[in-house]
Amino acid sequence: MSEEIKPVKNYIFYDFVRITASPGLLVVRPKLVYESEKAKEKLRGGVLLISNHAGFFDPVHLMLSIRYRRHHFVCIKDFFEGSKLKRWLFRQFHCIPIDRDNFSMGSLRRITDELKAGHLVCMFPEGHVNGGENIAPFKSGMILLSLQSSCPIVPVYIRPPKNILHRLIVAVGEPVDIKALYGARPSLAQIDEAAEMLREKEEKLQQIVTFAIKTKQSPEVL
Amino acid sequence: MLMTRTEIIEKLKDIIISADSRTAERADSVTEDTNIMQDLGFTSIGMLYIAIAIEEVFSIRFDNVGISDFVTVRNIVDYIEGKLQ
Repeated sequence: MSEEIKPVKNYIFYDFVRITASPGLLVVRPKLVYESEKAKEKLRGGVLLISNHAGFFDPVHLMLSIRYRRHHFVCIKDFFEGSKLKRWLFRQFHCIPIDRDNFSMGSLRRITDELKAGHLVCMFPEGHVNGGENIAPFKSGMILLSLQSSCPIVPVYIRPPKNILHRLIVAVGEPVDIKALYGARPSLAQIDEAAEMLREKEEKLQQIVTFAIKTKQSPEVL
Repeated sequence: MLMTRTEIIEKLKDIIISADSRTAERADSVTEDTNIMQDLGFTSIGMLYIAIAIEEVFSIRFDNVGISDFVTVRNIVDYIEGKLQ
């Protein structure tokens, strides 16, 4: 049986850091662009936020992009290993550990419980940091998580700044209801198809950001 | 609800077929020694899919076990049998 890292029941430390760091982080807040008018609507209830993984600070970028929600990041269990302080910090930030080599039913339960409780869960379906221009194929586990929790998936694209003088740009897509598109129990082939559809959506968001930069269109800020 | 091992395997076959129609032909030859990933070609996502379907079909709840711990059909049948008792 896998070792279970129990979640922290409160957000005292999480909110303390969020509030105290906010004034300083406002300087590096991202510019936001949206796929459509619908994508501008505030995210409410259980939502699975997915993003490309361009760099180590992507979790911070996502927290700054959707500032009005608490984020629960899915991360590899290796992050919880090492010092006790590291483990304590990741727990305090409500990160959800997963074992990539042997995914546990406990992890599935933890993620779907958070979503069903109306929380925002974030994950990087590329599965690794990808600094390249092309978005890597998405792992399809997120589709099962969405189906199990009956929560929509919201794709987000992060374009890291080229240098310190440029601002970070984040594109937010429309929520995708997997259950409405594929039914409650799609086949594995349909699950792979849904994962590819979301990767294509991510590419579309990438194009929206590129267009906004080329045309010097001022992106809308939340 | 008590079920025989044969009944459990038959239900497992149905789950395997519904997961991936391409495995339908191979599902007929499933025995307790069948390796789910190597012989049936399921990935870790496929294994997770099967685990979720097992919970629904057999009305059981998996403990915090790793899905790759189930290598053969026998491993799964043993686990289900243990849960149904």
